[in-house]
Amino acid sequence: MAAELMTVEVATATAAGMKAIGAGIAVGLTGIASGIGEMAIGSAAVGAVAENKDMFGLALVFTVLPETIVIFGLVVALLIMFQ
Amino acid sequence: MFHPESMSRLLIVASKQQLEPVITELYQMNIFHIDDYIEKEDDEWEGFRIGMPLAGADVSSAALVKIRSIASAFGISKDTVSDSERSSILELKRRIEEDLPDIAEEVEKLLASRNKLESETKEYEQKIDSLRPFTDTPAPLELLRGFDTISFIAGYAKEPVNVSVPHEKWESSSKTANLTILVVKNSDVSTAEKELLDFQFQKIQIPQETGPASQIIQECEQKIEELKKKIAGISAQMETIKNRHEFFLMSSEEFLTGSVEQAEAPLRFATSEHAFSLTGWVPSSKVSKVFENLDRVCAGKVYISELEVEDYNEMPPVEYQNPDIAKPTQLFLDLYSRPRYTELDPSLVMSILYPFMFGLILGDIGYGLVLLVVALGLRSFVKDSEAGTQLLGIVRNCSISSIIFGVLFSEFLGFSLPWQPFWLSRHINIGGSGTAEHALEEATTHGMAAAAEHATHIPELLVLSIWIGIFHITLGRLWGVRNSAVMDHGHHRSLKMFSHVGWLLVMWGILIAIWSFAAIPLMPDLTGSPAIIAGMNAPLIIGIILAVIGLLLIARENPLDLMEVPTIISNVLSYTRLIAVGLSSIAIAMVTNYIAIDMIISPQLKSLSIFGIVLVFVGIVVFIIGHIGNTALGALGGGLHPLRLHYVEFFTKFYRGGGRKYTPFGMVRRLIEQN
Repeated sequence: MAAELMTVEVATATAAGMKAIGAGIAVGLTGIASGIGEMAIGSAAVGAVAENKDMFGLALVFTVLPETIVIFGLVVALLIMFQ
Repeated sequence: MFHPESMSRLLIVASKQQLEPVITELYQMNIFHIDDYIEKEDDEWEGFRIGMPLAGADVSSAALVKIRSIASAFGISKDTVSDSERSSILELKRRIEEDLPDIAEEVEKLLASRNKLESETKEYEQKIDSLRPFTDTPAPLELLRGFDTISFIAGYAKEPVNVSVPHEKWESSSKTANLTILVVKNSDVSTAEKELLDFQFQKIQIPQETGPASQIIQECEQKIEELKKKIAGISAQMETIKNRHEFFLMSSEEFLTGSVEQAEAPLRFATSEHAFSLTGWVPSSKVSKVFENLDRVCAGKVYISELEVEDYNEMPPVEYQNPDIAKPTQLFLDLYSRPRYTELDPSLVMSILYPFMFGLILGDIGYGLVLLVVALGLRSFVKDSEAGTQLLGIVRNCSISSIIFGVLFSEFLGFSLPWQPFWLSRHINIGGSGTAEHALEEATTHGMAAAAEHATHIPELLVLSIWIGIFHITLGRLWGVRNSAVMDHGHHRSLKMFSHVGWLLVMWGILIAIWSFAAIPLMPDLTGSPAIIAGMNAPLIIGIILAVIGLLLIARENPLDLMEVPTIISNVLSYTRLIAVGLSSIAIAMVTNYIAIDMIISPQLKSLSIFGIVLVFVGIVVFIIGHIGNTALGALGGGLHPLRLHYVEFFTKFYRGGGRKYTPFGMVRRLIEQN
């Protein structure tokens, strides 16, 4: 009986841990992806702004475009954790 | 409100005798935006050439250059001078003629002598540097050179050196390196130098001085001291000149800038042998003022006429016309691109939605108050910069919105307040366990019972943010229809309008189709409708029909646009960042509280000891640093994400931009009298 109870508890805990790991992976990997995306755009954007300050708005828009990827990761993580 | 200030195009023609009064009057009015005349070979402007500057332009420019060079030497600018008094123009003119050359000459002389003294100081400093290694040498410097048969080699080596040729050696070791002086026969110099290379020997020059090095260094230091005193004297003299003439210099800079601009204005006019003509823009409400004033100063000898505008899309310069609340947001529009004359100016909508989104992300009374204090506190520092004032205005509006949302969400620096969140709660349970009872128990032990008590509504909040996206994008598309209706012409116009409608239909079609088979909180539940054909219910069929019609309308304008259809979904989902980024900022705040209070401060307070008190202070420091960092992150995230949602998701639906800024000919006088 006791052993069975332990197993159920362990299973619940494992499930919770797996959820946390899943959420972590979702945010982590998408964060890396966003970073890789923004790396090239960001350096080019800074160059463009240095040449012409009027480019700032457009440069900012281009730079934050890949940000959506990590936001999706964050949303997925939130859904895993709280739903 | 949604449209820039209405502009009228004026043509002014007069004989060249009226050139000066017209320019002076236009400059004083400061409302006329001149269209530069470009020489072109068409019949309309045949015989007209670009004008020549007025007499005196070169003199004013020369004086202006002088003043600016003095100002830059003194490090003064217009903004640093108090504008409590104003100089009269007559007095200024007199002083520019009489005093300015003397001041310039004096400043030049002082600058030259200061430069000379400074370069002398540098020389002595270099000399000291070259002498420094030889302070410990056993012989005075003159004995280290000038022999017929032997040579000296001096330099640094990391380890003691050894050469095979006959030599004498003196070494002194210091912390950084060993100074070595070798004496070898002239014939052995090259062999010795080659061997020294193996010891990574860095050769240095033996200074051409006489006497012991330390004594020479002392003399040099004395000289530097004297030179520095002299430099300080000159600086003090310059300071007196600066204090005495600062106001005169800056007010004459303002006056001369105006004179030069006026004198060079004819370069922007069309002139013939005896007449000149210029076109430009004036806000429609001020047209009569231009007519009256020019008529007065020229005693009627001027022809002014309001011209018809051929293409409103491109031509008129754009001046915003917004209520005060929307003025700060104009900064964001200028950052992106100023709206064109005929298109909708979204400043007002953005000035409401931007702080709203900011508040939704950083809805916390504590952070809101901090930002409000920052915005109000920095106001006096940026009062001369328009962009700075606008930015602080935005921060102020955002922080107020943040406080309001903080009250609604019941949040203060990540703690929950004694009331329940209004409608939807976003309190999360950091470090909590899976089940609700456990969570409550655990949170209570950490003193955060309130956080676990309030049920979180994160999925509902995410749906709410999607609703914001749906309405934002729908508004953008509707404005896209309006802009196409006004700004496009011919066949293209209706195609464009229908394609915007198409995008809307696809988006709403997909939404209705999703509702027909999935029940989502806070969204209409259409899953209950009975199936009609092939297992599909009515809403699904309607959704599909809408989407297909939409796709056809998009394809009619440009089939390649169909490639972009998936962005409908990603654009709408992108709005979930409003909640996601907000939650991450709450999470950081709660973790900070958890570490500072539950892990460091509370356990110590239970059994207080001297070491415990130190730890309590450490806890307070952690608390403060954590929250400062989170305020900065939250303000940055809360500021950039709504900006991106506007720029990328909203503006791309309707906004074109590329309007010319309205820059009237004239200036606002700060330091000189009006007349």
